[in-house]
Amino acid sequence: MSGHDMQARNDHFDRDFTLTELLAGMSREKLARSLEVLLGPGFRLLSATGEVLLGTAEPLPAACRCELRLDIEPVGYLEDSAAAQPQVQACAHLIELVMKSAARYLMASHLHEENVNESYQRLLLQHEALLKSELRYKQLAEELEARVQAQVKTIKQAERQLYQAEKMASVGQLAAGVAHEINNPMGFIRSNLGTAKAYVQSFSRLAPLVKSGACYQLAAAWKADDMDFVLEDFASLLDESITGADRVARIVADLKGFSNIDRTEEEVININDCITSVCNVAASRIPPGVHLVTELEQIPPLRCRPGHLNQVFLNLLLNAVQAVGEQGEIRMRTESGEGEILVHVTDTGAGITEENLPRIFEPFFTTREVGQGTGLGLTVSRDIAQAHGGVMEVESREGAGSHFTVHLPLDGRKH
Amino acid sequence: MADYDEENGRLTVKLVYYGPAMSGKTTNLMRLHDLLNPQLKGEIMTLETQNDRTLFFDLLPLGFRTPSGLLVKFKLFTVPGQVAHDATRKAVLSRADGVVFVADSQRSQGLNNSEAFQNLADNIGRVGLDFDTLPLVIQFNKRDLPDIYSEDELRERWAKMHWPLLFAVALIGEGVQETLRALMAQVYPVLDRQYGLQARHGMGREEFAAAIVGA
Repeated sequence: MSGHDMQARNDHFDRDFTLTELLAGMSREKLARSLEVLLGPGFRLLSATGEVLLGTAEPLPAACRCELRLDIEPVGYLEDSAAAQPQVQACAHLIELVMKSAARYLMASHLHEENVNESYQRLLLQHEALLKSELRYKQLAEELEARVQAQVKTIKQAERQLYQAEKMASVGQLAAGVAHEINNPMGFIRSNLGTAKAYVQSFSRLAPLVKSGACYQLAAAWKADDMDFVLEDFASLLDESITGADRVARIVADLKGFSNIDRTEEEVININDCITSVCNVAASRIPPGVHLVTELEQIPPLRCRPGHLNQVFLNLLLNAVQAVGEQGEIRMRTESGEGEILVHVTDTGAGITEENLPRIFEPFFTTREVGQGTGLGLTVSRDIAQAHGGVMEVESREGAGSHFTVHLPLDGRKH
Repeated sequence: MADYDEENGRLTVKLVYYGPAMSGKTTNLMRLHDLLNPQLKGEIMTLETQNDRTLFFDLLPLGFRTPSGLLVKFKLFTVPGQVAHDATRKAVLSRADGVVFVADSQRSQGLNNSEAFQNLADNIGRVGLDFDTLPLVIQFNKRDLPDIYSEDELRERWAKMHWPLLFAVALIGEGVQETLRALMAQVYPVLDRQYGLQARHGMGREEFAAAIVGA
């Protein structure tokens, strides 16, 4: 049998153990001393192959020899030349008991070791598999993260585009109103200027008479051309034109509030001024039968983004105009609350149905005809209020009208 | 894969009693110890039990010398039947020269039997033995109990398998010798091919079995 085979066989729990192995776990000196007491000095313990393990090294003459059996085979011998046979046999039995106990222990411990080794090998394999799957999950997670980022980027871009679209829609409505509002005074100013030009021609015709000093002819010509009326009308058409020009100037001034819609800098302003300019800008959109009432209380100035808030108030006002139709009342009211400014927009219009009420702030929710609204007006308005640290509330009853309240905290913008 | 020690003239043969928990593997060994009378017979070594259940294994050493002087040593092992002790079962099964599968005849144990048999088939492969060629006999034990599968049923069910089928009441020693004899008959040709039992040691098939189990 080769050394390698020997090695392999030695690892197994079920191999045959030698006497040396069986005695390895105990003190040989103690065993020797006990045997000496029991048998006297002339004894020796031999392995199966004749190697002396305990006692005298020299062969004993006329010795009594007993087998030390484990299982069915002798694994060693006990020799003694002095003691009687029964004593030697009894000692051999004692040693056999010790060997048997040692064999049990060796088998159990080797088996246990085999089991532990096998479990360890299995755990190593499992560990390796786990490492692999962990790596795979890590890669997966990273990939997922990258995809989420890309998706978020796409969504944000789409959102920006939609908000831009909503802003453009507001600006478009605004532009239509402003055009009408400016066109009207410009019309009569243009007409007045035409009349004024004719009046100037009348005065030029009288000029030679004035220069020649022909008083009689001058008076006749003055009367013939009805210059008394011309003078009177000239003054009043100038007054009217000045009023018209002022109106245009005021509209342009109000419009400036909206021109900085994209400006991100904050300003400290009075919200009442915002409400006033929103009402002016939207004036042309209000039908004659609709009564617009503003109740502006004394309120503290607010640090805010006026362009954004104007968009909110205009949105609410235009919604109210749409809700009331040809007849009704719209009330815009500001008040000073506890640490906040409240803006109320109330109308006596159609109101919002109970089922629609929870959904009005949802993006793209609209009850209007396709093309009439983006469904983003209230969403954007609420977002702007929230960006100012505030909230927007709504109460409404179908057929009775709606009441929107914007809460704007005075210290709402935390930076 | 018997262990042949030419130097000391010794051939060690390992036989394993396998099967589900509480099917009577240890009882088989105990009755064999009582009943058999070979040249050489050791004590049963029981390595730790718990509530009558084997935790490690039991070992019964038996042996004889051939006319040529070769010591043929048999080590009969049992495995723990409980599912949890699979590692021990594998270690005991390693290097086996033959297996007795001890099944419980009760109808209620049908599933346990098949699971244990599947486990035997799996473990034979895992420890590097060949399921198709490994000597194996099947013993249906506890024939004295009520509500058991009938012999006809079992024979019909196992008809397609090539393994010998034996019936036993191990508790009273019925069938345990026959089972071992049947396994010896399976093991002999393998050993004879490898170690020339007949040619070199003068041991025929009959003598070989009789040396352990008796005539």
